[in-house]
Amino acid sequence: MKRLGRAVVMEIFCFLKQGLTPYEKKKYVWKMLYIYMLGYDVDFGHMEAVSLISAPKYPEKQVGYIVTSSLLNENHDFLRLAINTVRNDIIGRNETFQCLALTMVGNIGGREFAESLAADVQKLLISSSCRPLVRKKAALCLLRLYRKNPDVVNIDGWVDRMAQLLDERDIGVLTSSMSLLVALVSNNHEAYWSCLPKCVKVLERLARNQDIPQEYTYYGIPSPWLQVKAMRALQYFPTIEDPNCRRSLFEVLQRILMGTDVVKNVNKNNAAHAVLFEALALVMHLDAEKEMMSQCVALLGKFIAVREPNIRYLGLENMTRMLMVTDVQDSIKRHQAQIITSLKDPDISIRRRALDLLYGMCDISNAKDIVEELLQYLSTADFAMREELSLKAAILAEKFAPDLSWYVDVILQLIDKAGDFVSDDIWFRVVQFVTNNEDLQPYAAAKAREYLDKPAIHETMVKVSAYLLGEFSHLLARRPGCSPKEIFIIIHEKLPTVSTSTIPILLSTYAKILMHTQPPDPELQNQIWTIFNKYESCIDAEIQQRAVEYFALSRKGAAVMDILAEMPKFPERQSALIKKAEVAEVDSADQSAIKLRAQQQTSNALVVTDQHSANGPPPTVPAVGPLTLVKVPSTSGNAEHTSEGQALTQPNGTLTKIDPQTPSEDLLGDLLGPLAIEGPPGAAVQPQQNAVSEVGGVPSAVDGAAIVPVGEYSNSVQPIGNINERFYALCLKDSGVLYEDPYIQIGIKAEWRAQHGHLVLFLGNKNTSPLDSVQALVLPPAHLKMELSLVPETIPPRAQVQCPLEVLNLRPSRDVAVLDFSYKFGANMVNVKLRLPAVLNKFLQPISVSAEEFFPQWRSLSGPPLKLQEVVRGVRPLPLTEMANLFNSFRLMICPGLDPNPNNLVASTTFYSESTRAMLCLIRIETDPADRTQLRMTVASGDPMLTFELKEFMKEQLVSIPTAPHGPTAPPTPPVAQVAQPTSPVKALTDPGAMLAGLL
Amino acid sequence: MIKAVMVINTQGKPRLAKFYDFLTVDKQQELIRSVFGVLCSRAENVSNFMEADSIFGPDSRLVYKHYATLYFVFVFDTCENELAVLDLIQVFVETLDKCFRNVCELDIVFNYSKLHTILDEIVFGGQVLETSSAEIMKAVEEISKLEASSNSITLVPKTVSGWRNR
Repeated sequence: MKRLGRAVVMEIFCFLKQGLTPYEKKKYVWKMLYIYMLGYDVDFGHMEAVSLISAPKYPEKQVGYIVTSSLLNENHDFLRLAINTVRNDIIGRNETFQCLALTMVGNIGGREFAESLAADVQKLLISSSCRPLVRKKAALCLLRLYRKNPDVVNIDGWVDRMAQLLDERDIGVLTSSMSLLVALVSNNHEAYWSCLPKCVKVLERLARNQDIPQEYTYYGIPSPWLQVKAMRALQYFPTIEDPNCRRSLFEVLQRILMGTDVVKNVNKNNAAHAVLFEALALVMHLDAEKEMMSQCVALLGKFIAVREPNIRYLGLENMTRMLMVTDVQDSIKRHQAQIITSLKDPDISIRRRALDLLYGMCDISNAKDIVEELLQYLSTADFAMREELSLKAAILAEKFAPDLSWYVDVILQLIDKAGDFVSDDIWFRVVQFVTNNEDLQPYAAAKAREYLDKPAIHETMVKVSAYLLGEFSHLLARRPGCSPKEIFIIIHEKLPTVSTSTIPILLSTYAKILMHTQPPDPELQNQIWTIFNKYESCIDAEIQQRAVEYFALSRKGAAVMDILAEMPKFPERQSALIKKAEVAEVDSADQSAIKLRAQQQTSNALVVTDQHSANGPPPTVPAVGPLTLVKVPSTSGNAEHTSEGQALTQPNGTLTKIDPQTPSEDLLGDLLGPLAIEGPPGAAVQPQQNAVSEVGGVPSAVDGAAIVPVGEYSNSVQPIGNINERFYALCLKDSGVLYEDPYIQIGIKAEWRAQHGHLVLFLGNKNTSPLDSVQALVLPPAHLKMELSLVPETIPPRAQVQCPLEVLNLRPSRDVAVLDFSYKFGANMVNVKLRLPAVLNKFLQPISVSAEEFFPQWRSLSGPPLKLQEVVRGVRPLPLTEMANLFNSFRLMICPGLDPNPNNLVASTTFYSESTRAMLCLIRIETDPADRTQLRMTVASGDPMLTFELKEFMKEQLVSIPTAPHGPTAPPTPPVAQVAQPTSPVKALTDPGAMLAGLL
Repeated sequence: MIKAVMVINTQGKPRLAKFYDFLTVDKQQELIRSVFGVLCSRAENVSNFMEADSIFGPDSRLVYKHYATLYFVFVFDTCENELAVLDLIQVFVETLDKCFRNVCELDIVFNYSKLHTILDEIVFGGQVLETSSAEIMKAVEEISKLEASSNSITLVPKTVSGWRNR
């Protein structure tokens, strides 16, 4: 280490010392790169390296390029200095210099390089006088530049050139060009339609005619690389329409599929199968005839049984992909035994693939076999896989259970064998099913009782058994060993071993056992009361509260019966588990099988008998009262609301003063609490939003104006995440996700310059099949001029389409533009209306104003309509610093020190629009430290409409009480043509504070 | 796209590490360490593929090949074919073999620059540039000639006698 440190110092000296020979320079540079690789940051000599690029001789230039491309990244400032030199090298006549420059740009070139060099690189690529060595580098260099800035390749001009490039004879240049084509078509396959037949020709040339120079055959196979790339490119085209072309392609594919055998030589094997697997992928993509498909499945079935591990691995992986193809599932099922054997493969990579495949191919017909196989495997599986394994087993058991008792068996076994990996979601779900199905209750309770007899059980098992026995043990009363007392003893034995999170559940169980003991057993009662007494002073608030409440309740005698009665049925919810699995799989993308899962029908067995929730409000939610409110938001991550809710529970805490009705609700909520947590936040909050709109007296028309929910709930496809939250997040930042559902993700990236906005919509297809009939329509409000570039009708599988959207702000207004977006996936037509975050604050530019500038301005804008003042009540209480942060995020610059009163804020900003041009806006907020819910706001600008709109905008952001948008405070200068003004009601509805206010 | 190329010896020391997306030095070291951590736990005669999602993020794949004391590791995304990348490793090693005549770890340590030159002729900015080892050798020799024309850099001979005679 020490020696290395010295070496580094020496390095600096030597490198900076002038007059080194090129050989010495080179030697030091490589040493430097070597220690860089070993993990020592080399942050010196960058400038010297960059300046060496312009050296006239090859050795020095080479050193310069090597260091630059190894140590600098594309955003490095020094790199900019070199653009000109690099360009000179590229357009110069010296081929070796061209190669050096292209290599550097191809490795680290950024946007600026793309803009200044793309044209020259294109010229090199199509030049006939260049050697292939240079041209192939130019092709890949262009690919890099295209990735950095797609605009540098002008589609109209380039398509023909690209097609010509595919006629190239030199395989090196052709391989690079094919990579370039893959990148181009993955973005826009329509434009490059004419390249499709050329790709087929290349394949014919290689695979059929074997027309290729000797040095490009690899173990006797004509350039497997190029074959693979050509087939990859073809997969980006949705289909092949020309029958001749299709026929010749299938001829080639057939030849590849049939002509490949497993041979002795490993390398030859690999190469041949690289081509074969790509051909398989292409066949799947092209939806070949059934005959060819079953041929493919047969081939894959052969592969998963061969000795070669690589082939086994890919066989399983491709079989998983094959599941997406219709009509072949049955032929895949024939290989089930072999796949289950693969679960015991010595290679963990293969075991994982086998697990994925089993998970994907599972349906009602084979669920029992597969899940039992998985459970068996769980005890021997390696640690790294157990979590995934148990999650998958749980999901399959839930989706495809032939009957419910089997489901309960499976989950209890799962908890028993791998309790550490069974998340709370899983046991919550069991409890829900048992509660909702009366037939199941005695069985589940008996099972739970059996597990408690085991000597050492997992804590999760304690939780679920305690809960089930607390609720349903009275159904077992006649069986041996199931008297209340015995059950109490066996559960209480576990208490010393469990953590604090489990104790509340045990306390509830004790209370319920006590209640079910008829006639009362004084001895048991005393035992349980002692326990309650002991926990009355527990440091954990949850335990303490329960102990106190149960103790008080159990002294009430008969009244307890109502309060501690069985839990009401749960409203039917989508399983959080399955939801989570879907989301997780969408993230990790490739697992197409999961998507299949999502579309399939679940087993009928698990349809809950109670159908209350389907029509009308779910019975439990309104009954639950304030306490659920405390629990629910904790999932949506809103700490503020929680604190308010907790304040609410305070008066409820003293039980004696309250009439018998209230605590019962309270308690129910309490018991429901842990279960309510698993509810998907969107679903849980929704009924309350409705409640707010009713209680708050907001006219139902507001719901219509709140554009988003309309789209949101009429579709069968559920969005992922809350659309409103996403919109509000995007109002504050410039890039992020606007909308997401299982099929598509719409991202947005915006740049705002004065009154102009440049947005790019990223439409990403998350599936392996294309999305059709894609339509995007922008409905701009009157004050915005918006131009959306053409949106392609089809989004190819796994592709992302970028649609630029230009925005011009004409006038100040708070109205919001709406994107009407629809697409078709399979038979599903999905239509959503999304608000676009082109809101007022985006056209603001923070500007700092000194006292000398501020006061004359402030005074010159005297009184309405240029200066408006309003006392705003019902403000979300925020500390001053947080309010300042909020203003900053709205691009209002806080000017400290202008107002002598520390409770006041002064902010300034510039607003840009066509009508107002750049307009200075000044804002003063006076807050009352004694009452944070009200403040006085003064807004001043040189334009009356702007002053009004800005004031209203800020009010909306600060106020939390839902007010109708066209409320009593009629605007003095009404905003023009209100297309949609959803901001205030929607904001109010999602705001938890507002919901609470509405409920009160 | 190929995200990274690494050569790690069986002791866990990196002998070559090239990342085609910019990463900080610390991140690079962390990745090398975690890759090695998984590699060294794998038995012989298993597949050449490894789950790399946890190390390199979703949609990453990792293919490696074990030769004597060295692991050759390629990390790439779903746009590449796994077996084809495996072929590429073979091309890389065959080219090294031609260049150094029966390549060993020492050749790679002492001729770090040559190793880089060869890799740059095979993989270019994360894309495959050339797959014919004959063509690669031609390009590398051309560069060596240019380098030699201005100085006397020669390969470090493997034998002691060769060293003396230099």
